[in-house]
Amino acid sequence: MAVSSHELIAGFADPVQASQQVFRSALKAMSEPGTLMQIDYLQQAPKGLDLSTWQLALSVFDPDTRVWLSPSLAASDAVVSNLRFHCQCPLVETPAEADFAIALHRELPLLIELNWGTAEYPDRSTTLVVQVPALSDEAYWTLSGPGIEHTRALRIAGLTEPFRSDLIRSRQRFPLGIDTFWCCDNRLTALPRTTFIEETC
Amino acid sequence: MSAATAIGYNFAYLDEQSKRMIRRAILKGVAIPGYQVPFGGREMPLPHGWGTGGMQVTASVIGEADKLKVIDQGADDTTNAVSIRRFFAHTAGVETTELTAEATLIQTRHRIPERPLQADQILIYQVPIPEPLRFIEPRESETRKMHALSEYGAMQVKLYEDVARFGHIATSYDYPVMVNNRYMMDPSPIPKFDNPKMSMMPALQLFGAGFEKRIYAVPPFTQVESLDFDDHPFEVQSWEDACSICGSDHSFLDEVIIDDNGSKMFVCSDTDYCRERVTEGFVGEAPAQLETEQ
Repeated sequence: MAVSSHELIAGFADPVQASQQVFRSALKAMSEPGTLMQIDYLQQAPKGLDLSTWQLALSVFDPDTRVWLSPSLAASDAVVSNLRFHCQCPLVETPAEADFAIALHRELPLLIELNWGTAEYPDRSTTLVVQVPALSDEAYWTLSGPGIEHTRALRIAGLTEPFRSDLIRSRQRFPLGIDTFWCCDNRLTALPRTTFIEETC
Repeated sequence: MSAATAIGYNFAYLDEQSKRMIRRAILKGVAIPGYQVPFGGREMPLPHGWGTGGMQVTASVIGEADKLKVIDQGADDTTNAVSIRRFFAHTAGVETTELTAEATLIQTRHRIPERPLQADQILIYQVPIPEPLRFIEPRESETRKMHALSEYGAMQVKLYEDVARFGHIATSYDYPVMVNNRYMMDPSPIPKFDNPKMSMMPALQLFGAGFEKRIYAVPPFTQVESLDFDDHPFEVQSWEDACSICGSDHSFLDEVIIDDNGSKMFVCSDTDYCRERVTEGFVGEAPAQLETEQ
């Protein structure tokens, strides 16, 4: 798909500082899993992307990151044009080839379709970015593991039962695993492969 | 930004593409605690071995709101610390400080500050050799496999050889640890005195090895255990003396020779901690001077 110039929107006003700030939010979310971060360096995202997804993309994607988009995002002229224009990231056909996979919650790929890395290089795995309808600190999930002193509560809305149990079970394959960012509007959190999830509701 | 900021360089020296690459490596490192993530190490305007790995991590993490502290063996006023602090003051225009409590980022060479670090502080270590198994197994392909299989017996043998030869584990710095019960990690050449501080630390710990091009991390509140044996448990150094300046008997002490007769004094290696104790009114005892033999 070519870049449609009429779909393009502005990126960060101050790309150096905004990228750094968004990265620090992502770093805090990833190192203290389940912490809800709010990122407000832009007021507009391409139609189809949440503000937090878009800001994360502007901060960490570049020509070195292969990106997979779930079907309705891949079909969106606005999303593809802006990612190509601002990040110049190559878009790939299957999630297994991707460094980052962006998916709507109702179009999630199976975890086994993603790249899990190898035992020698577990860092070569796909990072999954999911847009969900709601994100809060209600106690639907009880999280524990590195980055969490005791436990932390988290609720991610819109996930199907098979996906939730796949994600919970994937912890047994550590150090292989899928690191995830969860985006909703201007909010974001992360669950790395080390976080144990217990369903409380 | 301050008026002294360097013209013609990007914020914090590194270009944005390099920062993004390093940032992605840091995120992976945090997700796999203790695992060494390879990254495309860049040339920095000082030689390898002077903290280029730590500097690349700092450059990728630092922002305008940060307050940077840099220590070298605990001291804020040694060459390496002064030049790195000035480098970032110059290229990023950030505020710098010597106070551990005030700093948001602390780049360190070979020490962890005595004052316990807090949540939202980031400690960035300069690492010369990131692979704890390197002196046992020189081939990277093999050490990768050993990490993949959690095959760490060789390190226990090395420690055991210490016990057999000296009666105790003689490794006193660079003491290997297990992170989150999975990866063996080189804590960088900090004294083993500092090892216990790494475990369950509320601050984020990032490690950068510039020459070996590896980044690794320990997230806050992560278990870090020093290797040992049931009958030879891990122990830290202790001193019979106290700091001659502030009288501290619980901090890591440096031995300083003060004359030609071998007289010596012990002082805190952490200069900020020592200074703080002095302002609080603590005083040490002056060292005994040895008589010159005529």
